[in-house]
Amino acid sequence: MAAAKEILLRRPVAATIRLTVPAGGARPAPPVGPALGQYRLNLMAFCKDFNARTQKYKPDTPMAVTITAFKDNSFEFTVKSPSVSWYVKKAAGVDKGSTRPGHLTVTTLSVRHVYEIAKVKQTDPFCQYMPLESICKSIIGTANSMGIKIVQGLE
Amino acid sequence: MLARNFIKHFPCKNLSRHHILRDSVRPLIFFTSSTPQSSFSISASLSTSSSSSSSSSCFTDESFAAPYLSVRINCPKHVLDPFSDALLCFGASSVAVDEDIEEDNEDAASGSSLASKEICIESIFPVHEEVKMCISQAANSIGLKEIPKFKVEMGDEQDWITKNQDLFQPVEIADRLWIVPEWTSPPVPEAVNIILNPGFAFGTGEHPTTKLCLLLLQSLIKGGEAFLDYGTGSGILAIAALKFGAASSVGVDIDPLAIKSASHNAALNNIPLEKLELHLAPSENSSSGRETPLQKEQFDVVIANILLNPVMELADHIISFAKPGATIGISGILSEQLPNVKERYSPFLENISIATIGDWVCMSGTKKGEFIDNC
Repeated sequence: MAAAKEILLRRPVAATIRLTVPAGGARPAPPVGPALGQYRLNLMAFCKDFNARTQKYKPDTPMAVTITAFKDNSFEFTVKSPSVSWYVKKAAGVDKGSTRPGHLTVTTLSVRHVYEIAKVKQTDPFCQYMPLESICKSIIGTANSMGIKIVQGLE
Repeated sequence: MLARNFIKHFPCKNLSRHHILRDSVRPLIFFTSSTPQSSFSISASLSTSSSSSSSSSCFTDESFAAPYLSVRINCPKHVLDPFSDALLCFGASSVAVDEDIEEDNEDAASGSSLASKEICIESIFPVHEEVKMCISQAANSIGLKEIPKFKVEMGDEQDWITKNQDLFQPVEIADRLWIVPEWTSPPVPEAVNIILNPGFAFGTGEHPTTKLCLLLLQSLIKGGEAFLDYGTGSGILAIAALKFGAASSVGVDIDPLAIKSASHNAALNNIPLEKLELHLAPSENSSSGRETPLQKEQFDVVIANILLNPVMELADHIISFAKPGATIGISGILSEQLPNVKERYSPFLENISIATIGDWVCMSGTKKGEFIDNC
């Protein structure tokens, strides 16, 4: 199986690493340090690269990073913004969703919140080609599944 | 079920994108250290006398030497992705999967299980985390019937630090300009060799932004200039300027470890204290504001190789240190971020030129003479 992979890929992959790093806050300390250091990846290069690419996010937003480490100690990584549920909870100011979504509403969010979240999500590499409307619909769906209602405007 | 990594105690804030750039000013985002007085092994002492750095001496700096738990988990292949995500939600700091299983012979226990459809995950947890509970919660959340087998070891911080050191090889920046690690002898003794031990500071010469700045410096320094390195990291640019013939260099950084590393490197290159001054710039936490003991309009060349946000925030500040007609270089920015930086700096700079390596750019220009920045 490894041979088949090597034929398909330009470079042989040593490992895939997933971690959560605050935006603009990558440091060569744990967890970044040991996780990348084990595969002999250049910590400083990753920190600088990651911090530069996450400048547009609010500092300390937890970003999900997936790093592909190649056998020659080079690496690539993709950065995903936090999950929609994280944004929704943060916007609503709650820690958890409702225990009985559909029946019990914890709090409400306005349409404007949804729009703002959608705009941030659209910068994600996976969502870039989705129309804003579908992103908004998916956010509303997530919010509803957490027991957070979306209303036209607050107050 | 708390997604502990994500949600702490956030106040309810408006998520407008315009706020994302402006919030929480942190001038130079390198790294922070909570114990500035402590020493760490790689740069052994602050003294400018002979430096003895052995990478195996003791670590006392907590934020970098924090122990961690290294856990190997055998997980069924078909649930690898959801299980990894679940682990991250329930408290793991990182999850790594070795792709090439056949060569992973270190752990005897995993040998037999690899024949079946299991894969080995290496996960790192913070020291105080309840590993067993986290794994069982993660397994439950994705519907696994039984908790996967796992093995916990205390992670040795020496491992990854020394491995990181090994990676630093002599780098040739340009013809007859080399950056050489402290523990190697220069491959070309006649060239301009900058000896470095970066420690935990940024600047080994390998990164495109460092290269861009070094090349810029090489073209600018003719002899006798006063140079300011804003965001000095390991001090590489400040030292390089002196080697090219500048009269004096000043390095500023918000990270005390960077200042230590830079002074250590100055000693390695036999640079006397009068020629290279280092200042610790106050970060946002200190109440004294921005009071570095530097005069305005004192420098002929100013280079700031940091990140987009600090470069934008500190534009006025950085420019104020340059004499009129001085050259200012800004790097650490990606080419997609360049338009913003250009717009921010063009009221003050003329003859702006851009150098690019890969995704990274370095923008340089000369400070306009009579224009007084009043923003």
